[in-house]
Amino acid sequence: MTAPALELSHVTKTYGDFTAVNDLSLSVPAGCVYGFLGPNGAGKTTSLRMILEIIRPTSGSITVLGSPSALAVRGRIGYLPEEKGLYKKMKAWAIIAYFATLKGMSRRAAKARAYELLKRYGLADFAEARTEALSKGMGQKVQVLAAIAHDPEFVILDEPFSGLDPVNQTVMEEIITDLRARGRTVIFSTHVMAHAERLCDRLAIIAKGRKLFDGTPEEARQMLPRRVQLLTDDSIGPLRDLPTVSAITSTASGAWQIELHAGADVQAILQACFTHNIRPRGFRFDEPTLHDVFVQLVGPDAKEATHR
Amino acid sequence: MRYAFLIAWREFAENAKTKGFWLSLLIFPAIITLSIQVPILLAKKGTPTRHFVIADASGEFAPLITQAIEREQTERAEQALVEFARQGKYPEPLAHFVRTNRTLDLDGWKASQGTNYLKVPGFVVPRPRFRLVALPEGVSPNAAPDLAAQQLRPWLRGERQLSVEGRPEPLFAAVMLAADLPLSAMSGKGSKGKSEPADAATRSGSKGIHYWSENLADTALADLVENIINTELRRRAYVAHGLDPATVREVERIRAPLTSFNPKKAAGEETVGLADRIRQWLPSMFVYLLWVAIFSISQMLLTSVIEEKSNRIIEVLLSSVTPGELMVGKLAGIAAIGLTMLGVWVASLVAIVLWKSLGVSPEAAAAAGGMAGIPGDVATILRTTWLLPAFAVYFLLGFLFYSGLILALGSTCNTLKEAQSFMGVIVLLLLVPLLMMTYIPRDPNGTLATTLSWFPPYTPFVMMNRVTADPPLRDVLGTMALLLVCTGFVLWGSGRIFRRGILRTGQPPELLELLKWLRR
Repeated sequence: MTAPALELSHVTKTYGDFTAVNDLSLSVPAGCVYGFLGPNGAGKTTSLRMILEIIRPTSGSITVLGSPSALAVRGRIGYLPEEKGLYKKMKAWAIIAYFATLKGMSRRAAKARAYELLKRYGLADFAEARTEALSKGMGQKVQVLAAIAHDPEFVILDEPFSGLDPVNQTVMEEIITDLRARGRTVIFSTHVMAHAERLCDRLAIIAKGRKLFDGTPEEARQMLPRRVQLLTDDSIGPLRDLPTVSAITSTASGAWQIELHAGADVQAILQACFTHNIRPRGFRFDEPTLHDVFVQLVGPDAKEATHR
Repeated sequence: MRYAFLIAWREFAENAKTKGFWLSLLIFPAIITLSIQVPILLAKKGTPTRHFVIADASGEFAPLITQAIEREQTERAEQALVEFARQGKYPEPLAHFVRTNRTLDLDGWKASQGTNYLKVPGFVVPRPRFRLVALPEGVSPNAAPDLAAQQLRPWLRGERQLSVEGRPEPLFAAVMLAADLPLSAMSGKGSKGKSEPADAATRSGSKGIHYWSENLADTALADLVENIINTELRRRAYVAHGLDPATVREVERIRAPLTSFNPKKAAGEETVGLADRIRQWLPSMFVYLLWVAIFSISQMLLTSVIEEKSNRIIEVLLSSVTPGELMVGKLAGIAAIGLTMLGVWVASLVAIVLWKSLGVSPEAAAAAGGMAGIPGDVATILRTTWLLPAFAVYFLLGFLFYSGLILALGSTCNTLKEAQSFMGVIVLLLLVPLLMMTYIPRDPNGTLATTLSWFPPYTPFVMMNRVTADPPLRDVLGTMALLLVCTGFVLWGSGRIFRRGILRTGQPPELLELLKWLRR
């Protein structure tokens, strides 16, 4: 891949005694969809605001599209903030066009583009409606369209899925995959792992302002030990001696749960069963999900955050 | 700069679309027009003829009052006829007597027409203001005032109606004369002849003229009656003292005319006239306009900031523009709205003034006794003084000063409700110039005016108030410089607060925290 679209180097942001973001470093390659995962209060929004130069980091440096200042390249960035809001009295097309002109488009082009986008994403009938008349989901779509109307190279979406029904979540995913297909870089934050799993080329997990993980979804899953559930009436003694097995426990349902070392091959277990004449009545292998990774990594913090 | 312009344009366009904006554009010209037209209309329609009775035991005063009322009515009718002629409607015989200056030569007209001089086609003789009618049956003219009042009570309270020429009319007022009006007793010569029992006169409150009416606001009749009776009583007293009433009247007419001069004006132009008085008071109106404009657009600015903040649109904006551009754009957009509003107001004022002064030549205006000349004078003052340019400058500076405060304030609040409590302080601050507005023209270069001028929040208003009174150059330049510096400081400071406040959520900051923001 080419030069990174975004690079954070040892970025810290403190508010008085409170450290919102702590020594965060990460790199987002151009052309990828990058997930920014973390529990509530992890510092996701603060990080995104610093990337956009809405607020300045206390220390550390940020390079966006090769520039140390996001404002210098603002015309090439699109942003959807976490809390969604629109001018209530403005018409849908006018808002999209207005934000596009603020990103440097000419008025005429911005207007044409607004109508085109509304049509493409099924909102053509609401182009002339005042935004106060739109439903929440529609309003949010309008806002996303406003964020990408100027066809930015780099799109930052803060919690794009929150508050959307399943159908509109699919539309949102479609918008993101469209952007990727056109070679744009997308960074989005979420705490719903399913979206990240489907969409992300790379992701970062942060909690309490610190980065816990940064890499591909595959790499993330590798972090967790693989587990195999085996149901058998035979003795499983021989399996305990396999080098790939780290632990074997019995579950409530009477099956054995075999934990493998990271990166181990599941096939080796089956092979060992045959070799030692262990006849499986049931065998189940589940690839760990991002959800598992997330819970494993930030579990205690997330609880603390929700109980606060 | 392009971005600031885009923001300003949206701010202007969105506000210009609101109903409130259009209402405020129309309301001022409407008020001006109404305030000119309503008195004219009222004068035309007039108040209804007031019917009143008089319980005059002596029977000597009622005829005098009737005469005076008739005299007044004739004068009013003649005045109305002159006015009628001035409007350019001259039915044939009348045209002849309207010579130069388009006014009616009344004496010539009267001489030629005799008693029918008021009967002109198209001219409606104004209704008489008052009419003395006979006492209702059963009320004795000789009754003591208290008793007469007692008997007249049902009429006075509207429970019964008088019958005037067969039509029922309400009784407006009743005048009771005590049998011994104070000076009549002094006549000594017994010219009045009658001497009522002393007990009626000595009862407290029964002396003098008693005026009974439910309407306490319209004192015209009471003044008239009081005036006529006292004049007559004085006349009798002169006679009783052996003085000739005619001589006395002549003596009373001696009057050295007083003319006011203004030493600041060029020789030959020192006379203080109506124009000078308008010149003194016209700025007050502009101060009021300035106040209304600053106040209402401050509200717009506050609403606009809070909307963006509570909707979090601000984040999108700040990812596109710098806080500085956002602030400048907002200020410029709202200032444009304010200027448009004021422009329309002032233009409508000028238009109405010109329209009213048009077709009234100065001579005719002078003949009409001043009132009609006001629009012309206003037009002249607007043309020849610094009023309009000063207005524009002070509006801009005042607006920037207050909007700076309001931007800073609005940026620290999350909801309009939170902001309103802070707004209260600014409103209180703004009340002072409004209250002072009428005092300052009386002494435009006095201590109060000068002191307030040097207090930057009030400089625009107070200096505006003083602008036609030739304030010392030191004051003009000094206060302007101070205001410029302070406005600059306010904008700089509010820029700092705005930058931080705009992204803040939760509790508005404490004052100390704000000061900290200013330092960093």
